[in-house]
Amino acid sequence: MSDVEFSHRDRCSIAGIGSTEFSKNSERSELTMATQATLAALADAGLTTDDVDGIVQCDHDLVTYNDLSESLGLRNVTYYATVGPGGIAPAGMVAQAVGAIMSGQAKTIVLYRALNGRSGRRFGAGVPGMEYERVGGSQRWDEFFLPYGLVTPGQFFALLAQRHMTEFGTTSAQLGQIAVTCRERANANPAAQMYDRKLSLDDYFNGRMISNPLRLFDFCLETDGACAVVITSTERARDLRQPPAVIRAVAQRTMRGGQGGTMFPVLARKSITSMAAKPLSKTLFERAGLGPSDVDVAQFYDCFTITLLLQLSDYGFCATDEAGAFVESGALEMTGSIPVNTAGGNMSEGYIHGMNHVLEGVRQMRGTSTSQVSGAEVCLVTSAPPISSSAMILTKG
Amino acid sequence: MTPKRILPVDDDRDTGGFFAAAKERRLVVRSCESCGANLHLPRAYCYHCGSFATAWRETAGRGTLHAWTVVEHQIHPAYEVPYTVVLVDLDDAPDVRLVGNIPGRPLLEAGMPMQVWWDDVDGQVVLPNWEPATA
Repeated sequence: MSDVEFSHRDRCSIAGIGSTEFSKNSERSELTMATQATLAALADAGLTTDDVDGIVQCDHDLVTYNDLSESLGLRNVTYYATVGPGGIAPAGMVAQAVGAIMSGQAKTIVLYRALNGRSGRRFGAGVPGMEYERVGGSQRWDEFFLPYGLVTPGQFFALLAQRHMTEFGTTSAQLGQIAVTCRERANANPAAQMYDRKLSLDDYFNGRMISNPLRLFDFCLETDGACAVVITSTERARDLRQPPAVIRAVAQRTMRGGQGGTMFPVLARKSITSMAAKPLSKTLFERAGLGPSDVDVAQFYDCFTITLLLQLSDYGFCATDEAGAFVESGALEMTGSIPVNTAGGNMSEGYIHGMNHVLEGVRQMRGTSTSQVSGAEVCLVTSAPPISSSAMILTKG
Repeated sequence: MTPKRILPVDDDRDTGGFFAAAKERRLVVRSCESCGANLHLPRAYCYHCGSFATAWRETAGRGTLHAWTVVEHQIHPAYEVPYTVVLVDLDDAPDVRLVGNIPGRPLLEAGMPMQVWWDDVDGQVVLPNWEPATA
């Protein structure tokens, strides 16, 4: 780190977290939910709306930063940013907040994600653009994919899973175990959508096939809900209501040969079994001065079981050809070497596009998780891995 | 009324040439005339050698099956399940991967030879499509 003029290591912290309930029908607007989650995060931090001078929005959010600002009656916003794409955003949003604070552009930054992902437009219903007569052009790249009936993220990840099975002999049982593990964490979390619904490996195999090899329970939930966090300097966070979840390091990354667009172009890459998460993790661990063996608990972005599996090797927790066996060994369990998705993840807690993972990472660092990893001091929180990626490492404040 | 298949935008300045060639039953890839690198998905600038001298190059239309998925859950009315989406690597341009659609649940094997066929979609556009190679 000695040749880096500016370092953000440990300088900023997450001081507050807030969330609505997660449901199939919120019966209210995304704006209302974003407002509620933000107010909850501010209250959690012991701050008020007048303290907020920065907002970071996810590019897929239907609530813009200025909509949220107006809803809350904010007076002092001097920084705003939009980050994407989609599920890749959350840690990238943290990166923007850290940059803003370190450059003196703002002191108290709100990040949020609000979506009626079940009662409104559902991810599983088909990608935006599917309803147009002609697709593609202007770097959307859809012209090479959608006309062939490739229209959902599930089909996209099914292709990755199928190739993973070809290259490494990964099995459905190994993917199913990931679903079962996330569900078990949710079963201990009263706020999780799947709190009172158990899932066994038999249940997993009995789930209907959606796009081979991915079955119903390989898919994450579709959720109505909102999450928000408040970020400020670590120094200031220490004076607030909660122990700070220190942002040890954060990183964003693209990769040469990674392709443009947002999702389907990944299929045109040389390898579809290693994602942008791989080069990202090098940058992240370098900035943190840590390695995978230092991580006590991880919140992996899990839109599908295969999504999580791909990250296990990309982040260096196991070798590329051993990810399936790694899962089978129990490594992801509470007693394993890397407990994961301790609130249930996108799979079973709720799908707030990866922002819920940030909140759970903070809980682990505060010691307040419903599946608390004893003595956890370092938590990896990842955002979606495919086309570009972002991730952060939190430490106990 | 039969639901209509999704059509590609076929006049984009970077990608339109692919579909213009397909209309003539030619499978083309974007290539750098300076260093020979294939540029896929198609774009105008070659970052390998820094040249803008890129053009469409005709390929033989044979490939190798990289991956596939049998779609079982009905999403779009014009694509009736079950159908199989395939990813094919071109034999004479191995860093170019294209997509195809095969009805039903065909018997497939990773690495099997594939060949292009010309999928005329309602007279509106011709899509290069893929099927297991015959001989």
